[in-house]
Amino acid sequence: MAGVAEIREGFLCPICMKDLGTVSQLQDHFEEEHSSEDKDVLQQLRGLFDKAKKRILGDKEGGDSTDAGETRKGDNSKPSGGIPGFDPSVWEPQDDGVTRSHTDMFRSIRDERIDRYVVETNKLLIRLDKLVVNDGVFDHKKRKAYEKSVVNWIPDNQVPKCPTCGRSFTLTKRRHHCRLCGGIMCDRCSQFLTNSYARKLTDPAFQFEGENGFLKRSDSNSSLNSIASPEGEVHVRTCQECRKLLERRDQLVEQRNTKPTIVLLYEKMRSCISDCDVILEQYIPMVESLSIGESSYSFQDAQRYRLKLVKLYEAVDQLSKRIMVLGFEDDKTPAAKQIILQKAIRSYASTFMQENMMGLQALPTIEQYTNLQEKRKIEIQQRIAYERQVTIEAQEREKRIEESHHKDVPIKSSNTSPTKAVVDRERSDSQKVSGWKPQVEPKFVNSSSDPMIQQINIIQGYIKQAKQVQKWDEVEMLEQNLKELQKEYMNQQRQNWS
Amino acid sequence: MNVILAIKQYISKMIEEAGPGMKVLLMDKETTSIVSMVYAQSEILQKEVYLFERIDSSGREAMKHLKCICFLRPIRENVELLAQELRMPKYGLYYIYFSSVISKQEVKVLAEADDQEVVREVQEFYGDYVAVNPHLFTLNIIGCGPGLGWKTDLLTRTVQGLTSVLLSLKKCPMIRYQNSSEMARRLAENVRQMINKEAALFEFRKTDVAPVLLVLDRRADAVTPLLNQWTYQAMVHELLGIHNNRINLSNVPGISKDLQEVVLSAEHDEFYANNLYMNFGEIGTNIKELMDEFQKKSKGQAKVESIADMKAFVENYPQFRKMSGTVAKHVTVVGELSRLVAKLSLLEVSETEQELVCQGDHSACLQKIRSLIGNEKVQHTDVLRLVMLYALRYESHSNNDVSGLVEALRKRGVSDKHRSMVHAVLEYGGKKTRGTDLFRDGDPVAITKRFLKGLKGVENVYTQHQPLLNTVLDQLLKGKLKESAYPYLGTSQLRDRPQDIVVFMIGGTTYEESFAVHHINRSNPGVRVVLGGTTVHNFKSFLEEISQPVHGQTPSHMTTRTVHW
Ligand SMILES: [Zn+2]
Ligand SMILES: [Zn+2]
Ligand SMILES: [Zn+2]
Repeated sequence: MAGVAEIREGFLCPICMKDLGTVSQLQDHFEEEHSSEDKDVLQQLRGLFDKAKKRILGDKEGGDSTDAGETRKGDNSKPSGGIPGFDPSVWEPQDDGVTRSHTDMFRSIRDERIDRYVVETNKLLIRLDKLVVNDGVFDHKKRKAYEKSVVNWIPDNQVPKCPTCGRSFTLTKRRHHCRLCGGIMCDRCSQFLTNSYARKLTDPAFQFEGENGFLKRSDSNSSLNSIASPEGEVHVRTCQECRKLLERRDQLVEQRNTKPTIVLLYEKMRSCISDCDVILEQYIPMVESLSIGESSYSFQDAQRYRLKLVKLYEAVDQLSKRIMVLGFEDDKTPAAKQIILQKAIRSYASTFMQENMMGLQALPTIEQYTNLQEKRKIEIQQRIAYERQVTIEAQEREKRIEESHHKDVPIKSSNTSPTKAVVDRERSDSQKVSGWKPQVEPKFVNSSSDPMIQQINIIQGYIKQAKQVQKWDEVEMLEQNLKELQKEYMNQQRQNWS
Repeated sequence: MNVILAIKQYISKMIEEAGPGMKVLLMDKETTSIVSMVYAQSEILQKEVYLFERIDSSGREAMKHLKCICFLRPIRENVELLAQELRMPKYGLYYIYFSSVISKQEVKVLAEADDQEVVREVQEFYGDYVAVNPHLFTLNIIGCGPGLGWKTDLLTRTVQGLTSVLLSLKKCPMIRYQNSSEMARRLAENVRQMINKEAALFEFRKTDVAPVLLVLDRRADAVTPLLNQWTYQAMVHELLGIHNNRINLSNVPGISKDLQEVVLSAEHDEFYANNLYMNFGEIGTNIKELMDEFQKKSKGQAKVESIADMKAFVENYPQFRKMSGTVAKHVTVVGELSRLVAKLSLLEVSETEQELVCQGDHSACLQKIRSLIGNEKVQHTDVLRLVMLYALRYESHSNNDVSGLVEALRKRGVSDKHRSMVHAVLEYGGKKTRGTDLFRDGDPVAITKRFLKGLKGVENVYTQHQPLLNTVLDQLLKGKLKESAYPYLGTSQLRDRPQDIVVFMIGGTTYEESFAVHHINRSNPGVRVVLGGTTVHNFKSFLEEISQPVHGQTPSHMTTRTVHW
């Protein structure tokens, strides 16, 4: 069979190409001849029998594939264990990709146009102001003269057709002038700006209550002259271009000055969340320190922070719930996308709470805390004693080594460089053997005459003050100092004892 | 050289630039795929992006209190739609990012539309490709062109995609291409032109050893996409199909509603990330472990009596939820794979496939194929694979019996269209077009190597095959890749062994190749290879790919699926 022949061919030594009959021969050959050359290949060859067997027996009968997992279960060598998923640490860090900005070019093109609008619009507003301020001052005839003084009216004969709709002017289809730019249009293309809207545009303090700034035409055939009569609201006739410019400006102002409810609620919620972040950053190290019985932080501070956090979480919860139901009053429902938005905001808030709730769990009760402090005290003393013991032992060892040098006895390597495991064993041994217990009540607990302790107390006071004024970077620095001081104090104590 | 990270960094930068406040992300069909592959919706939600919209959707409502981040491909339709949008803006402010180079003229069109002054940023962020894994990207194009040439628009798209990969990774490469492929040469030249034209963009800190872009053509290895797969990701794609990380399970018998479509994303699913490249058998074990772990935890959840229990519950809550979903999903997926493997006799099929391409005595193979054609459990597409593989493998064998096998397919009831694929694949990747020696018969070194490789990675008969790409990359890394077969574009050549390599496969790559590249990356410290393709094929999509040259009239199309977020 060809297959068999090829497999036999497969037992060539991959390095020297010598043909070896069987797997074991190949393995032997490899170990003898090339063991120093290619460790990887050698490793693959090891256990070759097992693997080959598994290939033939294990997988082939895996016809019922649900058992495949079971068949492999005994395999502890995890053959492809070297190829799990991606390990991001291998390729990081990575620069941000290249970007190119067209914003400047975009702006320069846009602003050129916009500047024109702005200049135009400002001109219109100045004229509008003049018209509105002097409203009703003149009778009809004088009024017209006044309007013409505000802006030059284009002479009738220059405009044979309405520039907006393109229809020719006739005796019945008369020309009308835009009071803002002086341009000509037909009656149908005329726009009518209400007086109150005009005042809104020209005076930011004016309270505008109407809905539309321009009058609506109910029917294109009906002339608006009737509305122009004194009993209707006073209005200013404009062309469509001027209307567009004014409305554009109005929208911009409007958008700048008004915030819908959802934005107000959202901003409040966001500010609560960022307050939480600030407090959490302070609170979490506190909890961590307190729950191992350290006294770098005040227990009361931590409690206060916790309370604040709870309140803020409640606020976030409430606000996001209010956002979720916005617009659902009175049988009305908001637009579909608005609903999606509101739900998404709520889900954002609840994810935030889920992820940060953890910090609230861990604060110990005051009794627990006292116990923790006691425990820590004992631990510290034990550690000091232990370290002392180690030093003594090391000194003794050195002595022994010196002595042994004289006798020319080789030293065991494990003695000269104790590994961590050795140290651990020694610790438990030494504790058992010596049966050590704290002999003296630690001095530093209640003594305040020690200048070190005084300093520690002073710094703790500073920390408290700094916290009250929320100078967090100072707090951090002070805490660092405190820690160093405490460490120094401990060293001192240790020296005193030894 | 992590393409997922590259895209993520672009997107988070966009969001950052828009600043605090409620935001909407406005995308097109393709950028939706690009974003959804790297970010989970929940993840992006935490950056205050609350809405996801398509620029071509008509039902968008005005919401002036939102900031709008636009991430769009710079195609004409998008520019037009955006200009329209700016004339009547629905949102308060606009931050516009194009995924590739946009012309000055188009910027002008937009600027002239922005009468309301709503635009704050207009930039190019080169995320113009779909990142699948850290070392794998696709352009989601099936069928690059009729016959042996490029369709112009697809060439343009591919050049944009490939240059944006280079820009996002900050690589200005030396370019090599597969000499036997005219398409490879054209693509390489077009990329070079683009680099020259946009020289300013490519001015960044040069690395000691220049990166290499290697442009390959699928035609050199039509075998790989024909094979059944046994590593998790590849297998899922082969049997169930992965589209933008989504898997359709609606055909699974008795599937529950919430599992009809599942997302498999290595970025957000630890189990999947750890098992992407695991053997099917190993995944079974891992699934069991996962379930045990879950059961242990869920038992703990069962009695929530004391406050301590509550605490534990809250503390475990996010993981708990994540885990229960993960367990259900993977149990379902693996269960379905097992069912299909058993039902369709895939082990037998796969064994024969591997024998065909790896060693294979002609008459023995022929006999096995015939017997599988006679096996009712084996589905049409699988016998078709075998016949196609046979046709490629024994194209010039003296006793070649392709016509006999095709006739057997006909008798079995395999459709005309499918039977025509046997000739299509020869046309596509037969000796004539291939140029390289895909099957190295009787080369004892190769056989021994293969044998040893088999022991090293996945020691089973179903995964003996190594894609040609593996050999090509191996030679490239050793500095032994033949210049005659893979010439440099231009005169300069790389003296050192390359370290950073982008390989691009015209006609689509496969997850088997992705696995091979992953393996190379892991076993060669200091070497970083990124693999890309016009698409990532399974057998089904590959049939679509190769049917193009034969029926030249079939319109090529993008397979970007709509992503529902
Ligand atoms: Zn040898
Ligand atoms: Zn008119
Ligand atoms: Zn006017």
